[in-house]
Amino acid sequence: MPNVLTYAEVRAGDLRKISLEAVSTARALADAYGGEVHVVLSGGPGVGSHAGTLGEHGADAVFVTEHEALAQYNPEALSALVAGRARNGYSAVLVGASARGRDLAPRVAAKLGAAILSDVTSLRREGDALVATHPVYTGKVLATLRLTSGDAAAVVSLRPGAFSATQAPRTARVEAAPPAGDPSAVRVQVKETTTADSRKLDLAEAPVIVSGGRGLKAAQNFKLVEDLAAAFGNAAVGATRAVTDDGWRPHSDQIGQTGRQVSPELYVAVGISGAIQHIAGMRASRCIVAINKDAEAPIFKVADYGIVGDVFEVVPALTAAIRELRARS
Amino acid sequence: MTLSQGIFALCLAIGAAFFSYNAQRLVRYLRIAGGSAGSRLNDIPRRLWNLLTIGFAQTKILRDPVAGPLHAMVFWGFLVLQVGAIEILVQGVVRGFSYGNFVPAPVHWVFLLSQELTAGAVLVAVGALLYRRIVVRPKRLQGDRVHSGDAILILAMIAALMITLMLVSATHRVINSEHPVAVQPVSSPIAAMIMALGTPPNVVEAILATSWWTHALLILVFLNYLPYSKHLHVIVSLPNTFLSNTSGPGRVGVMPLMDLEAETEHFGAADVDHLTWKNLLDGYTCTECGRCTSVCPANITGKALSPRKIVINTRERTMELAPHLVSGAAPNGDLREHRLLDQFITEDELWACTSCRACVYECPVSIDQLEVINELRRYLVLSESRFPEEVQPAFEALERNGAPWAFPPSSRADWAAGLDIPTMAELSERGESPEVLYWVGCMGSFDERAKKTTVAFARILKAAGVRFAILGQEESCNGDPARRMGNEYLYQMLAKQNIETLDRYKVKAIITNCPHCFHQIGNEYESLGGHYEVVHHSTYIAALLQEGRIPLRETAGAAQRIVYHDACYLGRYNGIYDAPRDVIRQALPVLDVVEAKRSKDRSLCCGAGGGRMWMEERTGKRINVERKEELAATGADTVAVACPFCMTMLGDAGKGTEGYVPVVDVAELVASRLKA
Amino acid sequence: MKIAVCIKRVPEMDVKFRIAASGKAVDEMGLKWDMSDFDGYAVEAALQMVEKLGTGEVVVISLGPDAAQEVLRKALSMGATRAVHLKSDQVPFDSAAIATALAAELKDGGYDLIMFGKMAIDSASGATGVIVGETLGLPTVHGCTKLEITNGKGSARRELEGGAEEVTFPLPAVVTIDEGIARPRYPSLKGIMAAKKKPMDTRPAQLGTVRVTVDAMALPPERAAGRIIGEGAAAVPELVRLLQTEAKVL
Repeated sequence: MPNVLTYAEVRAGDLRKISLEAVSTARALADAYGGEVHVVLSGGPGVGSHAGTLGEHGADAVFVTEHEALAQYNPEALSALVAGRARNGYSAVLVGASARGRDLAPRVAAKLGAAILSDVTSLRREGDALVATHPVYTGKVLATLRLTSGDAAAVVSLRPGAFSATQAPRTARVEAAPPAGDPSAVRVQVKETTTADSRKLDLAEAPVIVSGGRGLKAAQNFKLVEDLAAAFGNAAVGATRAVTDDGWRPHSDQIGQTGRQVSPELYVAVGISGAIQHIAGMRASRCIVAINKDAEAPIFKVADYGIVGDVFEVVPALTAAIRELRARS
Repeated sequence: MTLSQGIFALCLAIGAAFFSYNAQRLVRYLRIAGGSAGSRLNDIPRRLWNLLTIGFAQTKILRDPVAGPLHAMVFWGFLVLQVGAIEILVQGVVRGFSYGNFVPAPVHWVFLLSQELTAGAVLVAVGALLYRRIVVRPKRLQGDRVHSGDAILILAMIAALMITLMLVSATHRVINSEHPVAVQPVSSPIAAMIMALGTPPNVVEAILATSWWTHALLILVFLNYLPYSKHLHVIVSLPNTFLSNTSGPGRVGVMPLMDLEAETEHFGAADVDHLTWKNLLDGYTCTECGRCTSVCPANITGKALSPRKIVINTRERTMELAPHLVSGAAPNGDLREHRLLDQFITEDELWACTSCRACVYECPVSIDQLEVINELRRYLVLSESRFPEEVQPAFEALERNGAPWAFPPSSRADWAAGLDIPTMAELSERGESPEVLYWVGCMGSFDERAKKTTVAFARILKAAGVRFAILGQEESCNGDPARRMGNEYLYQMLAKQNIETLDRYKVKAIITNCPHCFHQIGNEYESLGGHYEVVHHSTYIAALLQEGRIPLRETAGAAQRIVYHDACYLGRYNGIYDAPRDVIRQALPVLDVVEAKRSKDRSLCCGAGGGRMWMEERTGKRINVERKEELAATGADTVAVACPFCMTMLGDAGKGTEGYVPVVDVAELVASRLKA
Repeated sequence: MKIAVCIKRVPEMDVKFRIAASGKAVDEMGLKWDMSDFDGYAVEAALQMVEKLGTGEVVVISLGPDAAQEVLRKALSMGATRAVHLKSDQVPFDSAAIATALAAELKDGGYDLIMFGKMAIDSASGATGVIVGETLGLPTVHGCTKLEITNGKGSARRELEGGAEEVTFPLPAVVTIDEGIARPRYPSLKGIMAAKKKPMDTRPAQLGTVRVTVDAMALPPERAAGRIIGEGAAAVPELVRLLQTEAKVL
């Protein structure tokens, strides 16, 4: 079975970038097998309009299922739909490992009795096996995994951003496909969906955290930190124990041994000297930037990049630079 | 026997019987205690020494320059007057009994004079003490539900005893002036006055009789009032001082080892019958003087904790529960639930303690307040898993990483990179062993600021040619934070692991710059079978300087004014006050080594002890700020410390403000003066 | 109410891992082990639910070598009722194979609720729990940040990109647990002592066919040492450049 099946995730009517990454990856894999790329595209009425974009990225066939009950993420109906399609003989089923994708992929695997490779960062064919890399042990180790499933299908979920969305244009065949069973007959009922208030990103989730310490001198100066966080757009604001104890910030903002332990992509420490308790709370950050006027401050020992200077000069300059960067991209 | 003798004999008998009944009752109550106090009859010479100095010589009492001498006067006076009291009581039954009948006149005169002078001095002292209580109203005599009425009653009774005694002597003189005036300098003027007033003889007789009976009966009343009063300390404080371990014998400040394998319903103490008989005796002994509370860093800065209250509560609960337990009847549910923990002493009070030992050190009657706090903490953690939530990550990190913070054990020796310091493992492989092991400790291994002290000390050792090694990654937390916070289980696990490592390398001599590591490995590991000679770095450096083994620069260097902050675990726990000061003086041509208002054994804790380094301080003023202000008020340019925790706490206080005084370790002072 | 919680013994993550000589696993020398973080939240959530109801039992199950009994004992010392050890000397990287063994054990257990951590922090697949749910044909909710059971019905909250969903579902059901739901309690010494006497059954694990294997394990490229890149506001452009090109966080 040389064909590769993929699932296109649609959210609020829009085709997600990971769907294109998945199609592109499917394209590369299908080429290795000498087969076609088929896409399951489902959602509310009108979702079929995305078929063209899918074709541009390499889809040979798009199976469109439009139904009211599929407008929201509906794992039971969706997994039945994808698994049903997958039983027609595919070498692999690729799904982008977004939150929805990570929920969907195992369900499809279970329904197919297939093996699964989750959250991979690379994927290739080797004979009749699929070989992929997958970060394990909180990203400290890279595993190369081999899935040998013989004739049975394999389900693979792809880490968002690890694969590129590339063009491989063709006109995809579009087929209307009925939903599997009654999509509204689900056991897990969605009662309410809320959209996150992007201004109040939780410290545990924010990819960027800007933290302030005593070096800011007074509570009102925390505005510098807030402005920088706002400039990033996806940043939360943290604080050291010293400033939360003084009441400048609420205790829930405290990062450290006795507060929150965080591991964002980027941690910017503003006016923080780096007491042991604070460092224990943010050491796991992927990239640490420190701004402090004392070159001897312990924070510089753990920072990847440091600027020695007056926070009241450096931070506004950085805020302006980030704002400009965001505006351009 | 006359009627009056008969009546008096009856009173005496009743008084004695009643007192005996109460004494036995109170002793019986002590038996409800299930905990083990260990042997209290070991090292009798040491115990007698404590009795002599702290008890009879009133050394702790005299630490208060005003109340001290006043109380000592009353106490010594009391002892002297007992001799006369016995004579009076015997007189009531044996007509005409007098010491004068048995000893030569000069001896009798000495006795008479002693009674006179003492009674006068006691009366003056009591007057001053009453004035102090009623008019001056010092802070430490308020609060904690202390029984001020009780105190005033006692003082009044003592005054009455003195007055009636003098009236007896004076009226005796009027009736039959047999002794020289010089021997009765107080009664004589009173006698003269009575005569000058032309008092008729029958009135004088009446005054004598009344005064005598009042005095004698007051003695019996006083005696029998004691069990119901905080003045019970009159009877129990001397025995308590003898039986106490707070000033030795043995190592001071060592927590008792718990048997964790014991088949028991509870670990630690939730109520008075889980404590030891000694803790309950401490409860009887408390005089409610409040000195402990007045030196407690938590109390001073507005926390709920009052060491005095802990002891008063222990006594209150003992009196509430013991009568039921000794009668054999099981106490009903409500009574059982009204336990010491939570119902009398709250969590807030218990967690506020920094284990600085100031309360124990200050207590004039050798009570151990800290022991009760520690046993209740053990119960909270081991039996109910109740502790401030910010402590959980510290416990978990200790369990996982062998350090109270989330740092990987593999980075423990990173500070030593490039310094060419061998590890025990490396030396052992070559079949060698060092002169001494440098135990770095977790602060010194992981905290960026403390690492500078570690490096400084290592440089000093190298400059002095000391052959030392470190354990590196094989070192693990000494366990003190776990133990002080009540987690004895975790503590024993950590301690046993370290002992196993140390014994594997046959380590005997250890130096460390952390007083907590010092106290643990040197003193507390003994009861788990770990016996090592541990020296604190300040002592070690002082010795090296003394021997001239540290090459210091000839040039004077900048003159400074330095104030040294005494670490609790170095000072009050281990009596090390001079070595760090010697180090400072020898290393630096300082302007001054000045002392803070509260220094040496009165030093105010930095606030990190008792596991508080890992807890939030949510009420009152911050202890470290309180102490830093006091240190800064000396006008010093620099604060010197000999403990990494003091370094952090005092270093943090006042950061970023005008007039901030930096903090350095004594090792850094010396290292800064090393010949290049 | 009968709750099953599946837990896994994983290494402590705060270490510098080394690769074993075989090149296919991490070197276990010197590693400390514990229950996977998310499993801990699940156990705590289960214990709290049963405590709230005043009745019920929490059964903890772990698939792994003999050492897996350590994490089962820890769960027992937190308050779980009994433990089942599915013995397997190797724990494959194959979520489906493991799910087969777990589903076989859980099938006839009569559980009202079956809980998993949303993923094991070592293998980080996040698939096993959901596969078990689907295999057993039960309603499955993946990644709960809130969970409540009232009157035989469950309600949960799960986080998705750009928001959250509140869902309801009938029992019996399978849920996987995310952060934020509960903080695992610290076992008291009393609990540790009691755990020694609680029942622990061991049986061989009936793994499915293992189709995913490890070809190799490797360490990712080293993180470069940190440096101070400049002084004052003048250093900002260089910082932004480095964050974009070198660190790739912008």
